This record gives sequence, structure tokens and C-alpha cells, in this order.
Amino acid sequence: MGRASGVIGRWGVVTSLLLLIATLPARADVTTDRGSSILIFPKLLFDSQGILPNGRPVDTIIQISNKSNQLVFAHCFYINTVPADPTRPASATNPSQWTEVDFGLLVLTKQQPTYWQISSGRRIEPDPLCSRTVRDCNNAGFDPGAVPPVNSDPFVGELRCIETDSTGAPLNGNHLKGEATIVTKDDNDASKYNAIGVIGLNTDTGPNNGDNTLCLGGGTSEQCPTGAEYNACPQTLILTHYAECNDDPSRSCAATDPVIEEIGSGPSQVVTELTLVPCSEDYEQQAPQSVTVQFAITNEFEQSFSTSTTVTCWGNFRLNTIGPVGRIFEISTLGSRFAQTRIFAPGTDASGGARGGLVGVVEEFHRAPRTSPTPSVGRAAFNLFVEGQRPNADLIVMPEQ
Amino acid sequence: MSRTGRCIGALGLVLCATSVAARGDVVSDQAAAILVVPKIVVDVTNAAPQIAPPHRIDTLIRVSNTLNAPIRLYCFYVNATPHCTSTAEPCVSNPDMCSCLTDPVTCPRSFCKTEWNEIDFRIQLTAQQPIAWLASQGASFCSPSSDPDVPCLPLSSDSGVLGPGGQSNDESLIPPVPEDPFIGELKCIAVDRNTIPIETNNLKAEVEIVRSSSGFVDVEGYNAIGIPAIPGTNNQDNVLVLGGPSAEYSPCPNLLIMDHFFDGALDPVSNKTVTTDLTLVPCSEDFATQVTPTSTVQFLIFNEFEQRLSTSRSLTCFQEIRISDIDNARPGIERSIFSAAVQGTLTGQTRIRGVADGSRTHGNTLLGVAEEFRDGGGSAAVNLHFDGSRPQSDFIYLPGN
Repeated sequence: MGRASGVIGRWGVVTSLLLLIATLPARADVTTDRGSSILIFPKLLFDSQGILPNGRPVDTIIQISNKSNQLVFAHCFYINTVPADPTRPASATNPSQWTEVDFGLLVLTKQQPTYWQISSGRRIEPDPLCSRTVRDCNNAGFDPGAVPPVNSDPFVGELRCIETDSTGAPLNGNHLKGEATIVTKDDNDASKYNAIGVIGLNTDTGPNNGDNTLCLGGGTSEQCPTGAEYNACPQTLILTHYAECNDDPSRSCAATDPVIEEIGSGPSQVVTELTLVPCSEDYEQQAPQSVTVQFAITNEFEQSFSTSTTVTCWGNFRLNTIGPVGRIFEISTLGSRFAQTRIFAPGTDASGGARGGLVGVVEEFHRAPRTSPTPSVGRAAFNLFVEGQRPNADLIVMPEQ
Repeated sequence: MSRTGRCIGALGLVLCATSVAARGDVVSDQAAAILVVPKIVVDVTNAAPQIAPPHRIDTLIRVSNTLNAPIRLYCFYVNATPHCTSTAEPCVSNPDMCSCLTDPVTCPRSFCKTEWNEIDFRIQLTAQQPIAWLASQGASFCSPSSDPDVPCLPLSSDSGVLGPGGQSNDESLIPPVPEDPFIGELKCIAVDRNTIPIETNNLKAEVEIVRSSSGFVDVEGYNAIGIPAIPGTNNQDNVLVLGGPSAEYSPCPNLLIMDHFFDGALDPVSNKTVTTDLTLVPCSEDFATQVTPTSTVQFLIFNEFEQRLSTSRSLTCFQEIRISDIDNARPGIERSIFSAAVQGTLTGQTRIRGVADGSRTHGNTLLGVAEEFRDGGGSAAVNLHFDGSRPQSDFIYLPGN
């Protein structure tokens, strides 16, 4: 018995060391199609008057579901990044604010779906049930909690929801899923994307230490004494997109939507908006995070281009405004209608810190006819593809309660 | 063996027992070895009755190679366009058009029958190359006489336009879908030059469905679903094993989860009626014998009061259906368990499960995509969420070559 236990013990030592080495790096399981412990909605828009640069009244519907058979709690954060002058794009002379409003705890019963409009939030009050005769039944159902409306009109920014226990301590339940629908009021068009989910590690067994610093990937550190609590943010985001047209409708552009061209509503133009947010966020210090972003572009001829920009807290770019020289995404530069762009951040930020993960979403606006001052516009949202995992931790610091 | 060593050894055994194989999951946001495009729809000739005013519809498929080396795809269009049994006319949007009750002598009784047949083709992508094609047109090599509005394959020996290192799209030919109107799916598999499946998880795709008519453009987009290969498992035969014992590819999900508005609900932003279409395809597919087994699909629906209702439906090969038609409610949607009038709330969570039937030659898991339609407005597509996996395998049988 003693000899057998010694053999087993030695093999166990070897096995445990090998497994320890093999399991150390957190997986890059940022996901848009599985239950998660952190939900990120990178792009929220509300503009009742159409004064934002796109000029169309718009609102966003948030849907969140509990996919489990148990009660689930969540602490949510709106981040408002509308610039000082909302009628102009954000710039050095028109800086974005960075205002955080948090609310919760949201409470979702088992398998419960819920939703709210960001313009109105959702109050705790009895609402009429929907029926064949009652169509005005907005907010019918169990209210998940007091959800405030966003704190400005217009509003641009993001939403994050973090799964917690009943005391508000972060929890790796991986029970949440979400979608956002951006609806333009004047033509009732909509685009929809899945919330980006960050999966918590070792569901129900830790190692989330339940403190206010959420460690996404990475190893042990002063801020992350138990190491990674959630999976790492991706190393690279991948986007396949149209090249951009120039902004002069009198000049022809080959980067048209071939479907619109083919079925007769052309000439068309496709505008791509990319929204990026840093994985790291500090709600305690209210310090917006800056990330330098690199873009590596390959066109259909396998030719490569590159550019870069900086995202501070929230970045929403039309592709042909990205980079110091601009226009690199225009078809006159790219030379083909479609391109594949890899988006990534260096391993360290400008201050030498080890942050820099990004997540995001992309929207396309298909306009026809291009030469019209009031073209018909169809919008569609796509989740970005992800690849790899960042070696360094990203941190979300929740405020002390 | 010291006491410490025995403890470490025990830990190692525990780790060994509890550590799981690398998580291989179906994804809609990462590159993979098999791509599934659940819904392709074409009606350029406007032969299928549409809502007034009539729109024309086409689908643009964008595929990219994320690898720094060429990759080949073996693709299959699955044609699920239904036809009247007597006249062979397509009856995509109006199954009742096949009825002929007024004159049974000269017009024998007919019904709208869904069919299933496939055509396959091959594509060669160069390193990091993105391409796109219209489902109605397919794609061939670009030439001076090519229609500039129709995407084409840019690199070929014939044209003399080659990528770095002489890479090209030679040996590629993408046919158009076999008929118009058309509804069906696309599956693409990473293969080598001999059309043997390979373990390369470097394919990604997005799909754009456009409806257009004079003064109207509507665009929706979704990501193709990816099935990653499991390294070191491919036995290079024509039977692709998805999940289960002897798995070569990741398993398909046990459940699909869809958050949605119930049909007939009013969009809280626009106050217009919202309906949802769901497209489901089986994970298992037999391209060799073209046998199409039938699966039973269970739908479990939760409203915002945590109340649950359920129904079921058969699925053979392909199903694209308005959710309020799933339970065959008549005469209108207001009796359907997928309607807001019955459910009492605006939104719900539906869990979709293909029932396992114990077959050893095919599995019963499903993949799919959802689309929201706003009355008098636009549409939005969204990828479904996945949950769990099964011990049984799904299979894709490739034709012998």
C-alpha cells in the first residue's frame, strides 16, 4: 500500500505540475453567443431630436436574460461619452465627457428575460398585461429593478452589467446574455447586436475573490492576488468590411453595395462605423482608459496597409476618419471593394502599464441613391470576430459601496 | 513519499479528473474550420409575393481567411426552396398558391412541398484574403469585361493578377444559387488540394441580406456560425464527426437560446408591430446520399413573469418560419403562444432543442439565426446563443471524390 501510494504520489506531482503549467493562461473567451458574467454593450445611442452628427432620432433597446434556473443579480453601469458639443464629432477641441451612472442590483428570476429603452429606463410599477385588446403594454412583466434612463439627451456611450451575488459582490455565474437594438425613429429601421460577454472562470468554485477589482486574464499581481477571475480580453479583433467611398457624391465610387446595385436602387454607398471600448474601466477613480489601437488591413489582392488611432474610454469612428493621414480605408487607397482589418492594441499602454484590451461592434449604413441629399438608409450591426488572448490583465474597478 | 508529496499528488489526480479537454464550441465570433450560413434568400426577379410595395432581395456572403497561408474551401449550397407539387412553381412566400380547390379536374390538388438538394463548389483563398459574392450571381475571375457592380475573384493566372508569392484564386468558381427565388443555406469546409478536410480554424464569414425597391433600402447582417476543428483528430475521411466519441470537430450546441419580442408586440421606440422569423438548420447533413432525416424540435418559452409554455414542431433539412406560426395558431397570430397577446409581456426567452432520437448515423442538434421585422420599417438579424453540448455526435457526410 505504501509503495503504491508513493508511485501514485509521484505521478500526481508530475501531473499536477504539468496541469498547472498548462492551465495558467486564461482563455480568450470573450463571447457573443454564450452566457457570461460580464456583459458589455459597446454602442448605445439616444437622440430624441436628431442633433448628433448622423442627424436622425434614435433610441436603443437593451434586452438581458437570465439563462439559468436560479435567481441572478447584476450591477450595471452606463458610461456617457457625449461630447461637450453633441452636434459635432468628438475631438481635442470638443472633448467627450466620461460620466458613469450605475444602478442595480437588477434581479432576474430563473430564465427571466427583461428589457428597457435607455431613453426611459424601467420603473418598478404595475403595468398592464399585453392582450388582444391591450397593445400599449410597455414594461409588462416582472420589473428587474429600478433602471434609470440615460442621463442626457443626446446620449452616446456604453453599458456594462456585472453578475453579482445578493450582496453585490461579483460572482462568476455566467448566467447572463444580452442584446442591444438600435432603432431609428423616423424610418423604423433597426440594427441589432449581441452583447459581448466575458466568461468568469471556474464557475461556482472561485477563484473570484468577490472584491471590487475584476481581473480579466493575466496572472497574479498586487491588484489580482488570486490571478485571473475572468477570461482574458482578445488579442485581436477582426473585421471584414467595405472600403469607404469619398464624401463627394458627385464623384463616382466603386465601393458600392453590390446587392443594391444589382437590384436596382443604386448608386449606393456603404459607410462603416466602428465602435471600440477598452476592456479596462475604473469606475472608482472615474479615470477613462486610453488605448492605442493598431489596424492591419488586407485588401482582396492580399496587399497590406496599416494605421493607428487612440481610443479614450469610447471610440466611434467612421472608417475613413481613422488614422493620422485619414483616407486609408477609402477605395482609392485600398484598391478593392472589401478588406479584412485586424485590430489590436500593444501589450502596454502609453504609461507603460499592462492594459489595453479592446472589444467592439460595427455598424454599416447602406445608402441609396448616393447622389440624393436624402437617401434611403439601411443599417445593420455585426459583432466583431475575436482571436487570441491578451497576456496581461485588464481590470474593471467597481466603486466601493 | 513525503506527506507534502502525497498532497500534491492527490491534487494532481483531482486536477486530472476535473480538467476538461480544450473547450471546443460552436462559435459565431471566432474563425473556424466549418462555416454554416443558415439563411440565404434570393428573389431578384420578384417572383415571390412580398409585402407591398414589393421588394427585391439578395444575399451577399463575405468570407475571409485569417491565416497567413492559402486555404481552400469545399462549399455546399443547400436548396430548400419549396415548390408546388403539381406545377413545380416555387412557393416560397405563399404556400397557399399551390391550392387549387375550385377546379380539381383541370387543376389537381397540389401542395407546397419543401425540397432539399445540394450543389457544391470550391474556393481558393490566399493569405488573409477577404472575398465576397452575391448569392444571385456567384463569382468568377475578374476580367476587363466583368460587371463592376458584381464582386469577382481578383487573383488569377488568367488575368495575370497574382498575390504576393504568386498566390491566386485559381481553381475557384462560385456558382449562383440554382434558382430564383431561392431560400436555403450554405456550408463551407476547410479542405486541402485533394478536398480532404483539414484542421485549420481560419475561416470567418458575414452575411448581408438586402431588401430594396424604389426609395427603400433595408439591410440586415449576421455572422456565419463556425464549427472549430479539434487538432489531432481528423482521420481524413469523408465523414466529419462533430462532437461525441471520436470527435473531429467541436460539438454542436445542445440548446439554442433566443431572446425576442413576442409577435404582435409594439416596438417601444417606434410603436410599430414587431415580428420575428427563426431559421433553423440541422447540424448533421448528408451530402453523400442526400438523405434528410426529420427531427423533432422542442420550444420552451419563458415570458417576463417567468411563466413557461412550450410547443414542438418537426424539422426536415431547413425551416424558416415566423415564430407565431410555429404552433400553427389559427386564424391569426394572437392565439399563438409566441404572441404578446397570449404571453402578456413584450419579450421572451425561447430555448430551442432538437430531440435526440438515438440514431447512430445522424445527430439532432440545430443551428440557426433570428430576424426581427418592424411593420413599415426595417429588419435586423441576430445570431442565436448556444448552450451546452451532447454526448451524441453529429455527422456531415461529404460526397465521395
